[in-house]
Amino acid sequence: MDILTNLMNGFSVALQPYYLFLILVGGILGTVIGMLPGLGPATGVAILLPMTFSMGPTASLITMMGVYIGAMFGGSRSSILINTPGDGAALAATFDGYPMAMKGKAESALAISAIASLIGGTIAAVLMTLMAEPVAGLAVKFGPAEYFLLMVAALSMTVSMSKGNMLKGFLSMCIGLAISTVGIDGQSGLQRFTFGVLELQTGIDFLVVIIGIYALGEVFKSFRTLSEGGKKAQTKFKRIWISKEEWKRSKWPILRSAPVGFIIGALPGAGGTMASLMCYNNEKQLSKNKEEFGHGAIEGLAAPESANNAASIGAMIPMLSLGVPGSGTTAVMMGALLMLGIQPGPLLFAQHPDTAWGLIASMFVANVILAIVNIPLAGVLVRLLAIPPKVLYPIVLSLAFVGCYAISASVVDFYILIILGVAGVIMGRLDIPTSPMILAAIVGGQMEQSFRQGYRISNQDLSVFMNSGIAKGLLVVILLSILLPIISAIRAKAAKRKVAA
Amino acid sequence: MIKLKQLLTSAVIATTTLLSVNSAMAADYPPHTINMVAPSGAGGGWDLTIRTVGKVLKDTGLVDANMPVVNRPGGGGAVNLAYMQTQKGKGDLISVYSPPILLTNLTGLTQYSYKDTTPIARLITDYAAFVVPENSKYKTIKEVMDALKKDPKSVKIGGTSAAGSMDHIQFLLVAKAAGVENLRNIDYISFQNGSLIAQALGGHVDLISTGLGDVAGLVESGKLHALAQTADKRIGSGLIAEIPTVKEEGINVTFENWRGLFGPKDMPEEAVAYWRDALQKMVETTEWKEALKRNGWDNAYQNDQDFTTFLGKTNEQYKGLIKEVFGR
Repeated sequence: MDILTNLMNGFSVALQPYYLFLILVGGILGTVIGMLPGLGPATGVAILLPMTFSMGPTASLITMMGVYIGAMFGGSRSSILINTPGDGAALAATFDGYPMAMKGKAESALAISAIASLIGGTIAAVLMTLMAEPVAGLAVKFGPAEYFLLMVAALSMTVSMSKGNMLKGFLSMCIGLAISTVGIDGQSGLQRFTFGVLELQTGIDFLVVIIGIYALGEVFKSFRTLSEGGKKAQTKFKRIWISKEEWKRSKWPILRSAPVGFIIGALPGAGGTMASLMCYNNEKQLSKNKEEFGHGAIEGLAAPESANNAASIGAMIPMLSLGVPGSGTTAVMMGALLMLGIQPGPLLFAQHPDTAWGLIASMFVANVILAIVNIPLAGVLVRLLAIPPKVLYPIVLSLAFVGCYAISASVVDFYILIILGVAGVIMGRLDIPTSPMILAAIVGGQMEQSFRQGYRISNQDLSVFMNSGIAKGLLVVILLSILLPIISAIRAKAAKRKVAA
Repeated sequence: MIKLKQLLTSAVIATTTLLSVNSAMAADYPPHTINMVAPSGAGGGWDLTIRTVGKVLKDTGLVDANMPVVNRPGGGGAVNLAYMQTQKGKGDLISVYSPPILLTNLTGLTQYSYKDTTPIARLITDYAAFVVPENSKYKTIKEVMDALKKDPKSVKIGGTSAAGSMDHIQFLLVAKAAGVENLRNIDYISFQNGSLIAQALGGHVDLISTGLGDVAGLVESGKLHALAQTADKRIGSGLIAEIPTVKEEGINVTFENWRGLFGPKDMPEEAVAYWRDALQKMVETTEWKEALKRNGWDNAYQNDQDFTTFLGKTNEQYKGLIKEVFGR
């Protein structure tokens, strides 16, 4: 009951016209920033930092919330329309979102992504209100061993999923793992594969890998066909909405993915990228239309979209209830809070209930406002597809470079970007799936570090990786993710033989 | 009087510079725009410091140039340090640094050191805090050190920075002063994904070596227990003031996580004098004092000469330790 009263008080803060206005402005700004490749919510919130000096703590937090959620909505727009994710969390939206757009179903894709984001975000906000404490308690139970197993689970799901050729998926993963080792190794303090280049000491940002493989790769691939006029620009557009049939297919994936995304988001350092990729793989595993995944299955877009919005809200938990930033974005938000003289953490709710509950209420409000804003906005954005490739691709190219520079302000990354773009083309030609490589580049670094952390803490005793209940559960997930595709492949073969006989 | 003398000296030197080197620039100092550089991304300690300095200088009218904050991250500050080498002799770039400017050089991650900059002022300091979960068996830092003396593998130390950087070194400095041998064998575990404090809350590491400012809130809420901090006196108020110093525990050492401002090497003397004057005034303003209080920073002002001496001394101290632990 207490919670309800508090939440109502929060709403009475968040629904004031001034704050509604701030959420709207922040949300639109966030959507635009989120759409630009390389610029994610963290950058968006950081840009706002100087402005927050002059606002009160509640106003600035609510605005940042608007930007944050706006960026989560916006991130997938560019995934769907130009196959270039705005940030890591929108990566999974390219898998089926872009094929949908290519099939002339961009309207449904944009609509379902906004709807899934709204539902995912709202479910997560409810969970946040009710279960912030227990989830925070679960999050601290994740030690290095559990992190390691979580990363292995994510990787094994993706690799075993790469259709047809597991060997090629494995190869792709190894390239990604190699990329993730570049930089200063935390456990030894030594440099690896930096070749004396200072910029490489901080490693290769996985966003550079994503932009290189997707945006540049896409453009490079089209060079061959561009003058032949291969792809036709779409000229007629339908209303931004989905059909009943599409809703029926997406309903359960959206509902299932939200809590999963929420919990993974609440783990410090895991985040929306992991959450959306895991939920995508889950749905692929559960779906009856496995073949359609990767070729424009609407549930393959709905699930990760729901998950990444839920994760972005989950990521607020470590900050609000533990005083620990759970992601880059919340780290910036925490910095802003400190500057405003508010100490985030367990005492926040007691000392500044207006701010804390106003923030939680604004999560609900921001999700609704952004869904309302995004659907008409999508009607404008979808016309991107009317731009002929000859004009669109140079724009994508420049956006890719600008986004890349925004990540690390380093020119060295340009070379890496180009190399990866070429790699994307070659991998496409050889039919090597790129998603294992990208996931490995994202989780590889942490997977390795977690392993070594756990190994060192346990004094070189490997049993640490199977001692806790969470570890055992994750081991089961890993085994299933490897065995299930093998079993279903064997059964499919057997069935085929039967038919042939 | 001394101030006046310094001012006069710098005025004389400035005039000489004005005549000999670059009359246009010297006459115009401060220039229209001075870039305030955080050698990291937005949101960290360096970023917060330089933004606060810029804001206070602007609000108090002490500096009327534009002072945009530029984030130049990479290599733990080394990328910006390398960039500063291309700006030698210029006066329109001010960057913030802290002990890593010494450590990255000593561990061989960059060839440049503080000697390739112009130290302008030390401003603030935070201190190291050694923190354990609330149900830890260690009640004092002395007990931790005794355990390490018996078996260097018995206490696992967590930190945010990479091995050989600040969180690691600050602990080893204290361990060394406490008489722990075999510093090399102490297991330090680096958590760079932002999960360090959660790891401590979950009891996955035995002790975390971090900044006092980073854990103040959690210590106040009782979820973490701070065994000791490394200032030479008690700090703050309330529960924070109850944290003993390592000196009180009989370990004779202090560690300061200072933050200071640096210009490019060979910065014109006139620019140095300008900043000396402006910053000396800034640290006396109520705006600055409020900012210190708000962020839990301790005033540690030193002017350029004192700061340079301090850097030389500290560098030697770290050099010895790193040689002992890493053999490089």
